[in-house]
Amino acid sequence: MSARFDDLIHAPTRLSIVSLLAATEWADFKYLRDTVGLSDSALSKQLTTLEEAGYVEIRKAFVGKRPRTSVRLSPAGQAAFAAHVAALQEIVARSGLTVVPD
Amino acid sequence: MSIPPIDAELALAEVRSRRAQVVDANLVPGWFWPAVGGLMLMFVAAVESGRPAVVAAGSVGYALGLAGLILAVLRRARVQVRSQLIGARGGLAIAAFTLVLVAVGVGLGLALAAAGVPWPATIGCVPVAAGLAFGGPVLMSYLRRVMLSRPLAGRR
Repeated sequence: MSARFDDLIHAPTRLSIVSLLAATEWADFKYLRDTVGLSDSALSKQLTTLEEAGYVEIRKAFVGKRPRTSVRLSPAGQAAFAAHVAALQEIVARSGLTVVPD
Repeated sequence: MSIPPIDAELALAEVRSRRAQVVDANLVPGWFWPAVGGLMLMFVAAVESGRPAVVAAGSVGYALGLAGLILAVLRRARVQVRSQLIGARGGLAIAAFTLVLVAVGVGLGLALAAAGVPWPATIGCVPVAAGLAFGGPVLMSYLRRVMLSRPLAGRR
């Protein structure tokens, strides 16, 4: 996997969202909203940006009568995230700043 | 684009922190384990009593109690951790935990029955319940360490 800094992912709010999604199979919309601390509309906007880039997949379903929106990182999103993390690690490694090994 | 190393380190810290949030949201809560152990003990004792009314009450109580516990855990989890984070080490730990408890419970129960001790299954279930109550949180703690020790991205 080659390192590639990704401006789209690196934006603070999107980095938080993508980091959460990278650790999950799926995540509930409300979980993301509450965990990242965004309004519904702000999260929708960020997810739309990520979806347009092909980084996330959004599924809407009904659990009983309640609508439930789930989000997951697409394979392209996983690859972009992995490349972005590698780029961050390279920057840190080059500077000799490493605080926590990974 | 290049960013200052400190910003890159802060971004990596954010990635680690968000992973920890997901992992912590997925761990089975501490109260689950003694509750399951207690239910199991009650169920086995009810069945071993041999009294139809007690067996029926114990079975219904066990089924309802277990369903309630599982529902409570599922309602709490709004996110599903990526299975690669648990990996082979985590899977083996879960399997070993289960096998040891089953082996202890069945082995002790059979040995007590062979020795003619009354209530062998119930007595055999006591260490299993204790193992769940004390070992469950230890298992969760181990799984947490395993999941947080995985590389942040790429091959897991």
